[in-house]
Amino acid sequence: MRRKNILLAAAAFSLTAGVVLTPGIGSASAYFTTYTGAAGGRTLQVGSNPDIEETFSGWTKTVTVSNSEGSRPVYVRVRAFSGNAYTLQYRDDSGRWTAGEDGYYYYGDIVNAGEVTAPISVGIDGIPEEGGSFNVAVIYESTPVQYREDGSAYADWEIRLETLGTTDTVGE
Amino acid sequence: MKKKMKKVKKILASPIVTLLAFVCAVGLLLFSSIGGARAALTYYSETYSSNVELSEIGVRLVENGTETAGELLLPDVEEDVKLGKTYKEELAVRNSGEINQFARVTVYKYWLIPDDGPEGWRKSQELGPDLIDLHLTRDSGWIEDEAASTPERTVLYYSNVLKCAQGDGAGETSPLFADSLTIDGRTARIVREENTEAGVRRTYAYDGARFCIEVRVDAVQEHNAEAAIWSAWGRKVSVSDGVLSLE
Repeated sequence: MRRKNILLAAAAFSLTAGVVLTPGIGSASAYFTTYTGAAGGRTLQVGSNPDIEETFSGWTKTVTVSNSEGSRPVYVRVRAFSGNAYTLQYRDDSGRWTAGEDGYYYYGDIVNAGEVTAPISVGIDGIPEEGGSFNVAVIYESTPVQYREDGSAYADWEIRLETLGTTDTVGE
Repeated sequence: MKKKMKKVKKILASPIVTLLAFVCAVGLLLFSSIGGARAALTYYSETYSSNVELSEIGVRLVENGTETAGELLLPDVEEDVKLGKTYKEELAVRNSGEINQFARVTVYKYWLIPDDGPEGWRKSQELGPDLIDLHLTRDSGWIEDEAASTPERTVLYYSNVLKCAQGDGAGETSPLFADSLTIDGRTARIVREENTEAGVRRTYAYDGARFCIEVRVDAVQEHNAEAAIWSAWGRKVSVSDGVLSLE
């Protein structure tokens, strides 16, 4: 019985304390605050899909390199290989190709999406006699245009790809 | 007499009397406030009129000198972003309210990648926010809260009070907390590899990804700033002679 009385007294005390204290809560957070915000961005186009086109006429190969629509701007270089049997003579009527010390010919302009380089011709000297065979291969390479802080463009031919991850779909 | 007192004591000790006392206590507690209200209604003093003017607090984000909200325009950045180029992206905070204030800025940097969902994009957990270089200023009065910062999020507090407008003039604008933006050229050489029947297939990891910069500016009253910042932002700071420092 005595325990019941204590419980009742405790309940009465809690009720009174609650009524007295409740109005005090809330006033603690009455500060002036505000906020604002904004968000924005751009979409990157990083990939490129250049292609080479060759024509052969009069013992001369004529080469152009194109960059497909939607691709990132690239720099291009080409080089022809023939072995030791023949000598190769490069000819550039546009003045945009420059011989490098490494044997490559570098195209001076950026090749944007949908653009084609000016042609470069590779003449083959020491033409084989009738019945002989020869093999001249022209390779091309491209690298995405890089920019310095001031916005000037440059080509990085030593670029090394970094791998983010590898998946295996062989046998799937 | 003794008998009577004993009887009274017995009655007072009974649980019914305790219960009745409790009910009376509750009743008195509740009805006392009502009674007070009634009493106020029965008597009118002379009519006094008074005006309470509440000051307004306001803050704006300033991008390359222009106030912006909702969309960060990146006005100097071309749609076809040049990787490695440093673009002007000057960000500051302006007090647009009627009271002095302290401000903090939270900058988020992340990548969105195409998604089949309703929004068309989702946040990438894989692509690196460090390749989005929003250059933060040094020694400009902005303090970085390193404890709250992550590779994706940077929290900055402006250490001085931003004064409100005086007369018809504009409120004070803070020094820049960021001044340029560069997307790292590494984005053009990071690839994903896929081993297929035909060989290794490489695709650029950042091709088609969208970088996103999100800025949130919070401001709080100058008066009683330590308590206000603790209450509103949950950060312990100390303010001495109008200069805020992190604890």
